[in-house]
Amino acid sequence: MALSQVIIVRGKGVLAQDGGVDQKKLLRMYSRGFQLMHDSPNPKESLRHLFRADDRVGIKINTIGGKKISTRSEVSQSLASLLVESGVPDRGIVIWDRTNRELREAGYRLSMNRGTLKVLGTDTNSVGYNFDLVSHLNIGSRFSRIQTDTVTTSISLAILKDHGMAGITAGMKNYFGAIHNPNKYHDANCDPFVAELFDTSPIKEKHRLSILDCLVVQYHRGPAYHARWAKKYETLVFSLDPVAADFVGWQLIEQLRAQDGLPSLEEENREPKYLQTAVKMGLGKASSSEIKIIEEEI
Amino acid sequence: MKRRQFFKAAGGAALLSGSGMGSFLMDLYAFSGQENLSQVEARYYKKHPDREIECELCPRFCKLGDKERGYCGVRENIGGTYYTLVYGKACSANIDPIEKKPLFHYLPGSSALSIATAGCNVNCKFCQNWEISQVRPEQVTNYDFPPQAVVQSAQKNNCPVIAYTYTEPIIFYEYMYDTSVEARKKGIHNVVITGGYINPEPLVELTKVVQAIKVDLKAFSEDFYSSYVRGKLEPVLEAIKIISKSKVWMEIVYLVIPTLNDSPQEIRGVSQWLRKEVGPDIPLHFNQFHPMYLVKNLPSTPVSTLERAYKIAREEGLNYVYIGNVPGHRAESTYCPKCGKVVIDRKGYRIEGIGLSENRCNNCNTPIPGIWS
Repeated sequence: MALSQVIIVRGKGVLAQDGGVDQKKLLRMYSRGFQLMHDSPNPKESLRHLFRADDRVGIKINTIGGKKISTRSEVSQSLASLLVESGVPDRGIVIWDRTNRELREAGYRLSMNRGTLKVLGTDTNSVGYNFDLVSHLNIGSRFSRIQTDTVTTSISLAILKDHGMAGITAGMKNYFGAIHNPNKYHDANCDPFVAELFDTSPIKEKHRLSILDCLVVQYHRGPAYHARWAKKYETLVFSLDPVAADFVGWQLIEQLRAQDGLPSLEEENREPKYLQTAVKMGLGKASSSEIKIIEEEI
Repeated sequence: MKRRQFFKAAGGAALLSGSGMGSFLMDLYAFSGQENLSQVEARYYKKHPDREIECELCPRFCKLGDKERGYCGVRENIGGTYYTLVYGKACSANIDPIEKKPLFHYLPGSSALSIATAGCNVNCKFCQNWEISQVRPEQVTNYDFPPQAVVQSAQKNNCPVIAYTYTEPIIFYEYMYDTSVEARKKGIHNVVITGGYINPEPLVELTKVVQAIKVDLKAFSEDFYSSYVRGKLEPVLEAIKIISKSKVWMEIVYLVIPTLNDSPQEIRGVSQWLRKEVGPDIPLHFNQFHPMYLVKNLPSTPVSTLERAYKIAREEGLNYVYIGNVPGHRAESTYCPKCGKVVIDRKGYRIEGIGLSENRCNNCNTPIPGIWS
């Protein structure tokens, strides 16, 4: 059985003391991650395995946590620049989330010009949610038109956080921000909703890549920001397997919790149950024996 | 008259087309993304350390971190304080006959100014108003319609009743409560159309300011509530018991869905429970289901199924049983349980005749329970 591969790239010093980002180092982290992903001589080659020049690539970020604990603007912009280098025109890239307010509060500058890279929320006038309701298993939702109409392929570029209900929020749950009614899917540890949402055609057919922004990880009391449990971690996680990416994210959070003397998520009865549901649905792998982790320090 | 003009005439706030969902949705779509939300501190919640809160309004007891919203989608933790985002923000307002709620033993023939905000604390897969109930308030057009304006509008439109309806009024509890208080000062009645998924304490307080509650009892099994409502049956039964002990008039609607909650055993069970816990005079409406929202694979309820349910409930000793959503059916009317004569003759939402004098049957003088004037 083929193993799923997860790349962990650590970049000590990528975050400066003042919280700023060393862009060059960040780009090197990305480059190395993509090289390792396809054993390619350079990141361009690797990205060309995933995206064509005529693709419209959605980079779904998570900005609900505000400036302190959202996918960083530098992280998404660096990814976009590598995509451009690989041949995707910048006008074919959309960095997006639920609302323009949340994007602004997380430090993003909105950009809606046709000819350039776009940064916008679903609540932008003339965007909104697709009128058609997608009904699939326990899911009944309207999807952002960015996901259904604008983009042809999708990257989930989530920040990794502890989550009081789901256990963790990472690449798969990030797509809760692509629907009109995420509040309906938070009971029962968000299970089976996270997996079933991912399994809907607007997501599954377009998702290509999960990247977890772990420059800072909220490992307890998430998803809100609490400085006391937010760890400067300076890491990016890459995987083509969305379940494996989240599984590894979960393990990282457990490590940080253990280091801080906190009980495991399982002991708090909120381990990310959706992962096993996702495995049963054939969406990916969630066990150490089925995942090959390649870890590198820059 | 154009809608905006009508709105002005109605008292400065918009009366929206809630029942004509088509036109309403056009508005919803056109205004998508325009925020008009309130930030009024919610009632019934507990503060926890680290800016976390626990909502105590409904049996979900949502525990929320900063910036998170409850299941209802309209109550948000902002920096450790819990706020309602829809206070005075109606997304739907209409003038309806009270029979549409349905309330059949409550001021028959009267008009009810009916309002709703976005949101709901359950997620019924057969919801008729999901376009406004299963959304967050940012996704609909929210009109400023504060309590005083609602009351004023009811007066201007000769509505003796204000109905909190369409979505789930429990989730706009503060707005409903304050409007009810204002309305009572002006002699206007307040009626609540609810799924009854509310905790005892806020419900008891609510029964002190409203005059009638219609409860949608969606089935009589926990399995159904878990699978099709995303809630629990037990708290709803508890709510019905609480209301029955208050001074508030109550009626029950049971939407009969083919194969899901229509078995004779279940109908008998609910009828027996109501007779035992509330009494034989509780009006029980068996309404016809039509395919909607996420349950589109089932047919509309056959009238014969509704008639079977009617028969069972009558056998179990309930005196006032109705069949709804079947205009013209004889079981839309109210019959005297003693002599069998029609005391309220209904055709659809219209009252064709009233055979009551001072709350008694004109024919045999039997008292008919209800609020008749």
